[in-house]
Order: sequence, then C-alpha cells, then structure tokens
Amino acid sequence: MSGERNHGIEVEGLVRAFKDVRAVDGIDLRIEPGEIYGFLGPNGAGKSTTVHMLTTLLPPTAGRATVAGFDVAREGPKVRASIGAALQETALDPFLSGREHLRLQSSLHGIRGQTRKELIETLLARVGLTSAGDRKIRTYSGGMKRRLDLALALIHNPQILFLDEPTTGLDPQSRTALWEEVGRLARDEGVTVFLTTQYLEEADVLADRVGIIDHGKIVAEGTPARLKAEIGKATIEVVPEQNADRERLAALLGRFGEETAARPGAYAVQLDGHGKLPDVIRALDNEDVRAAEINLHQPTLDDVFLAKTGRTLEGAEDA
Amino acid sequence: MKSRFDVAIALAYRQTTVLLKNPSIFLPPMLFPLMNLLAFAGGLSRLRHVPGFDFHGGYTAFTFVFVLLQSAAFGGVFAGFGIARDFERGFAKRLLVSAPHRGGILMGYALASLVRWAMIAIVLTIVGLLAGMQIGGSGIDIFGLYALGVIFNLVGLLWAAGVATRFRSVQAAPLMQTPVFIVLFLSPVYVPLHLLQGWIHAVARLNPFTFLVEAGRGLIEGRPTQVATAFGVAAALLVVASVWARTGLARAERAG
Repeated sequence: MSGERNHGIEVEGLVRAFKDVRAVDGIDLRIEPGEIYGFLGPNGAGKSTTVHMLTTLLPPTAGRATVAGFDVAREGPKVRASIGAALQETALDPFLSGREHLRLQSSLHGIRGQTRKELIETLLARVGLTSAGDRKIRTYSGGMKRRLDLALALIHNPQILFLDEPTTGLDPQSRTALWEEVGRLARDEGVTVFLTTQYLEEADVLADRVGIIDHGKIVAEGTPARLKAEIGKATIEVVPEQNADRERLAALLGRFGEETAARPGAYAVQLDGHGKLPDVIRALDNEDVRAAEINLHQPTLDDVFLAKTGRTLEGAEDA
Repeated sequence: MKSRFDVAIALAYRQTTVLLKNPSIFLPPMLFPLMNLLAFAGGLSRLRHVPGFDFHGGYTAFTFVFVLLQSAAFGGVFAGFGIARDFERGFAKRLLVSAPHRGGILMGYALASLVRWAMIAIVLTIVGLLAGMQIGGSGIDIFGLYALGVIFNLVGLLWAAGVATRFRSVQAAPLMQTPVFIVLFLSPVYVPLHLLQGWIHAVARLNPFTFLVEAGRGLIEGRPTQVATAFGVAAALLVVASVWARTGLARAERAG
C-alpha cells in the first residue's frame, strides 16, 4: 500500500452499464492529491454509480480507474485500505453503539489496542459524539449518524475520502460543521476528497474543482469561479419606482448590457462589461430615474448546469 | 498486519456482541433444539424397545446426537439470517467497502456462527447429562462427534450465506431453512436406519446427513462405525457449501 499522499484519482473512459442503460457513460477524471472535487448532478445522473466503482463496490463495465495509485478492478484490497467512504445510506447497525461501530471499523483495518482506544476517543470528540458514544445507534438523529459515518470513514487515516451526498437531510448547523471538518481534512491533512452533492452551495463553498454529470456524461468541469465566468456575467435587475419611468430605465440599462428575463414590473440586463453595479447606480442618479429595488444576480452553478444541459438542477430529475 | 483474519475477527466480534445484546436473536436457535431434546428423549423413549433397536447407549444419547447436529445446522442457518439482514439494511455494503480483504467477511460470519453454536452445544450437553444421557465413547470419540457438529455448523452457515448473498433480503429466510429442515428429517431421526422401511428408508440411505448422524451415534455409544465415511461426506458438503457461498458473495459484489 502506498503510504504517501501523492496519488489522487485518475479515471479514463469509465463505463458502467446495467443491461441497456449506461448509468456512467465513458467519463474521464483527474483529481490531484489534497484536492476537494465536487461531483454535481441530479438524482440518477450517475454520481453514486461512479462512487461505487471508485470505491470497489461495483466493477466497471469498461474503462480504467486508479484510486491512490491502485487499479480499482485489479487491486481492490489496496484501494480499500487507502480510502474512507461515507456512502449515501448511513448503513449503521441499530444494535451497536457509536463506540462499537468505531471499534469494528478500526478492527477491520487491523488497528488494535491503545492506538485504537485513542483513535476512537479522538474521532468521537472531533465529530462531537463523545457523550453519545455509548448510546445505541437507533437513538441517534440523522445528523449524529452522518457525523459518526464520517468518523468511521476516517478511522484508518485514509488518503482519499469519498463522501456521497454527506449533508442530505442535515440541518444547516450540522451541514456547516461537516463542511468545516471536510475543509480542514483537505487543508491540514492533505486528504483528497471526492464529494457528490445535489447542493450547489455545498460544491461552491467546499470544492476546489467541480464536475457536472448528466445522463452519465461529464458536461462541465473546472473551478466554480471559472465555470461561472464561462457561462455568463452578472445580471442586474431594477424595479422603477414609477411605471412611467420604464422606457427611460430600459434605455439606460440597455447601455450596460443585453436585456434578459425579469420579474413582472422589473427590467433586467446581463452586464456585458461596459460597467458594473456602481456605474449603473450613478447613471440612474444622474438621469433621475428613481429605483424602488435594485438586484445584482451573480451567476451560480445552477446557471452553469442550465447552460450546459438546458435544464436547472432542481428540475433535472423530472427530465 | 491487515489481513483477512483482522476482518474475520472484527466481524465475529460484532456478530457476537449483537447476539448477546439481543435475546430475540439468541434464544430461538437455543430453544428449538432444547425442546426437541426434551420432547424426543422424554416422549419417545419407549422406541428403544422396538425389536431390532440395537443402540445400547440409551434413548437420550440416541436423540442427543440428532439434536446436537440439528442445532449445528440450524445455528448456521440462523447466522445466515443475519447476513441477509446486513445486506437488506445496507450494512454489508459498509463491510464490502471497508474490509480490505473481503474473504475475511465470510470467515467472520463463520467464526460468529461457531461461537453461537458452541454456546448452544454447551447448554444442550449440560441438559442432556442432567437428563441422564449415557456416554460410552472415549474422549476422542466425543471430540469426533463435536467435530462433526462444527463441520455441519459451517455447512449450514455457508449454505445460508450463499442464499443470503444471492437474494440479499431476509425474505429469503424460508429458502435457507426449508431445505435443511427437509434433509434433517429425511434421516433416521427416531430409530436407527435399518429399522426404517419403504420410501423413507430409500431416501434416508442416500441422505448425506444419515452418514453423520449414524456415525455420531456410534461415537457417543463407544462403537464407532463409518466415521471416516461421515467425515468424508461432511468435508465434501463443506467444499460444496464453500463454493456456493463464495460464488454468492462474488455475485453480491458484482451487483454493487
């Protein structure tokens, strides 16, 4: 097993077919060591199938993937020894306590004795479950189970961490705590993180790079900032105080960009680089067009998804 | 060293912990053979007076061998229910993604099954002795009898594991249990083989379990007969059941 954190994830032409359906349809990825990679897409896009292949839970139909420098199809034991995985279903035994789960997980990796004891206590403290450590899992809340799941994934100090929709169903406080911990792992411990999510905000906050998968294919990849910059500029939307000013407002805003869809009663343009928000405000003031409301809308990853697939992420499941 | 033994011991520890914490899981495999022992040894003991009944160790010992081997088989099958439950609840996925050496997973379930059966066998033996069971065999003979039980427990577990990994649902429990039940009761349960007549004799003569139970009775009586054949049959069953379980696990791995 490679003990150094000098390998990330490399994927070439990875395919997984279920009878006639190609759930993952020839994807290529290269994730550097210590990077947080956000894998975005709607339900059924192929995110979890990709994770299952990379964690050796599912053999690929075609293509090649190495994780931590080991081939997922031929070197399963070495891959599993190098990774930690918190999968979508927090599969915990309701009859065991948190501590007993950690004991089992550490034993599976051959960690014993005092080292195990210390590790268990450290991890319980890190995920805020020290006092609940001896309680049976069936008394845990969803957030507690997710945090325990993360601790289980970390018990053997993995090089690469797979988090499959780790914050689904969590309250905002638990979500933020988990984001902080994941960020710390990558930043301070050099752990490579492969994170699948349906939450754009999560990818935006956490990921160094993002890949968007739809119908089994990667439709966009890059840093969140670059992807957003690629598909467009900010949109400015103004609601005039008086309806009579609408025509003057349209003419004024037309100097800053191209008209785009707006709410009823509002007028909006996508800024084309001839000015920014302060310039628009100055122009409104100079020409005495009074605004009841001014909104600046920066492009989001949802806009990226819309631009690349023709659908919004929220509506994609029904497509 | 990270090896399949680490995985096996870790999983066996978990299975045993869950078992001891849950009487509802632990008690049925314990009570079932106990009830059989008490019912058969008590209610049917006059069968020893049937002409041609040539077992000289008393009817309790005669019944004890069947019940001991039955408890071994069902101990394994009940452990298989746990495997199906783990797949149904997704816990098996955790094991598959966490265990560096997956061969250790079946070993772990097998170890736990043996621990469970050991507890049952101890209780059964104590109850048998309290009920006046005569042991004519030497220490080696009795070791041989329990060794047959160990192998049969593993056969039961591996058979059930093969079903559990193929169906990955507790709903497959009857499929694990019924064939074992049929095999056990199509053997010389209440009287020696040569006293059976008609179709049941023909079936029992070919039933692999008959070799085990007849050899077991010879061992407890202190007149070992066909012991090598019985161990040969048990070993063959173990090989077949191992292949069945391993291919089942491979199928579960492919299914993801």
